[in-house]
Amino acid sequence: MNRRRLGALALVATLAVSPLAVVSASSAASAATRTNVTFAYDFPGPDFELTPLVVAQDRGYFAAAGLNVKIAFPPNTSTTTRMLATGSADIGFITTTDMGVAINAGAPVLSVANYSMRNNWALFAKPGSSVTAKNLKTQLKGKRIFSYGDTWTEAMLPFVLRAAGLSASQVKIVTDPTGNDLTSLLQGRVDYSTSTTNYEIPGFVGSKTKGNLVTVLGTAVGAPDVPIWVYATAKSYASAHGATVKAFLSAVKKATIWAAKNPTAAAADFSKAYPKSGYTNAYNQLGWKLTIPYLTNSKGQYFTQTDAQWTTLAKALKSIKLISSVPSPSTYYTNKFLP
Amino acid sequence: MSRKLLRNVGVPLLSLLVLGGLWQAIVVGFHIAPYIAPRPMQAIDAVTSNWSTLWPLALGTIRETVYGFLVGAALGVFFGVIMAKVPVLQRSVYPVLVLSQAVPIIALAPPLVLILGFGVTPKIVIVAWIVFFPVTVNVVDGLSHVDQDLVNLARVYGAPRWRTFLQIEVPATTTPLFSGLKIGATYAVTGAIIGEGASGSYGSSLALYQVHANSNLDAAAVYGTTMLMTAIGITWFLLVVATEVAVTPWQRRSVARQPLRRRGVASAGEGTSIGSTPLKGES
Repeated sequence: MNRRRLGALALVATLAVSPLAVVSASSAASAATRTNVTFAYDFPGPDFELTPLVVAQDRGYFAAAGLNVKIAFPPNTSTTTRMLATGSADIGFITTTDMGVAINAGAPVLSVANYSMRNNWALFAKPGSSVTAKNLKTQLKGKRIFSYGDTWTEAMLPFVLRAAGLSASQVKIVTDPTGNDLTSLLQGRVDYSTSTTNYEIPGFVGSKTKGNLVTVLGTAVGAPDVPIWVYATAKSYASAHGATVKAFLSAVKKATIWAAKNPTAAAADFSKAYPKSGYTNAYNQLGWKLTIPYLTNSKGQYFTQTDAQWTTLAKALKSIKLISSVPSPSTYYTNKFLP
Repeated sequence: MSRKLLRNVGVPLLSLLVLGGLWQAIVVGFHIAPYIAPRPMQAIDAVTSNWSTLWPLALGTIRETVYGFLVGAALGVFFGVIMAKVPVLQRSVYPVLVLSQAVPIIALAPPLVLILGFGVTPKIVIVAWIVFFPVTVNVVDGLSHVDQDLVNLARVYGAPRWRTFLQIEVPATTTPLFSGLKIGATYAVTGAIIGEGASGSYGSSLALYQVHANSNLDAAAVYGTTMLMTAIGITWFLLVVATEVAVTPWQRRSVARQPLRRRGVASAGEGTSIGSTPLKGES
């Protein structure tokens, strides 16, 4: 069986199992004529934030856009930007802080769309903790706070400490890039964990611990309310393959909207695509459902970036000396490829 | 500069310079961006200009390395001796020891953290875990290959077992023991770095400094930290070699030392002695 027939069969099969697919056979480019795109995720393994990509792939949105997308996973969380800059990947998924330090380091990358629109990073404590945004100082002083050592946490923690009127030396920051913050929290190895709500809450629910996870959102204690994740590419790739970037974002937007309207089916798609991800379908489903509210801005828009978000972020990164200067927002992003 | 010094110091230095030149040529020749790979001097500068930050972190790594190495070496010698002396134990414990080394250290780190916390203990355990195996194996091998004629001779002269052990078996084991220690020393720093990176820390550590530098695309700091880690590893290895030289002087004598003679008196069993004064009557 040749590649063309195999691709056609795959397309037919996709359409047969996907009654909601908006793709028609006539509009779908054949596998052989599709443009290959390597997409790099920000994490070494797949998780539910990949749901839009999986839906776009499995339900034919990429095929309809004439794309053949291969998803690649980096060896660690700090390699995706380099993969983009060196051409090892065409389009990638990174945090806005990764983008900030990349531009600061002179890496020629460009954010082409927001993934999430707001900041859902938070400080978490075990059920029963009385920590709130108002009593941070007394609750945090001398306590152990977990961090994965990623740039986002590195950027957000100082805001929490500033709001609490504490310096970094007045708390014990436990950095463990390969550990599990929730396990450490529930085992009592740390007093607070840090993560985003869409990852932490499903993990907590899955642990079957009694009570509710105590959450203090970063934005409630002075952290900037800016998007966390973006789709990015190399500037050279954007210049040379603008139509491909646009087609990619168009397909992903359609898939994102579909996945937001059909969270259960979308999470099932992810679980089916990555049965060995190590996550249960219940975790994927809850994680994706908790992600959905953060995908649109106050106007209900997906993907749209603003000068304000990048300026706010850059100033925040400079204030904690993660970057040396605040460049023009256009250095970071463009909306010209948005569908 | 003597020829020996030139050979022992000059040649390795020249090799390092060639390596540095090659590195520089690759980075410049292939136009590699500084956030991917720095030039050698940029990496060195990343260490020297941040020395006040890096030195305390390096001290932490050195402490974990030394403590872990000592614990691992002590356990290795203990297990080695016990296993060599009790064959039943050797047959039962040896497979377990081999199995222990098959466990990936990365997989070992998270449970160690949950049991021992984020302090220095899990790192010491990881280093000891790496070090004790080559030491144990070499001690077992060393004790198994002691010259039995010497042991039998000691028995004939009525030497107690502890004296045979200390004066015959221990000296005979020093060569394999130090082989094990040198292998352990090479891996000890790697173990400490793996421990720092995989088992979390209060505050920072050399490995976490490198993780942060990597996240911030600061390749000069990443490479500079790697050079610093390598320097710690080499220094530790050389210290073990120096210790071996100091405690086993007989290893480096290719010719047996001439017995002390009183002027005009030949050693027992010697008919004549070249260079010594002839006995009276001989001429």
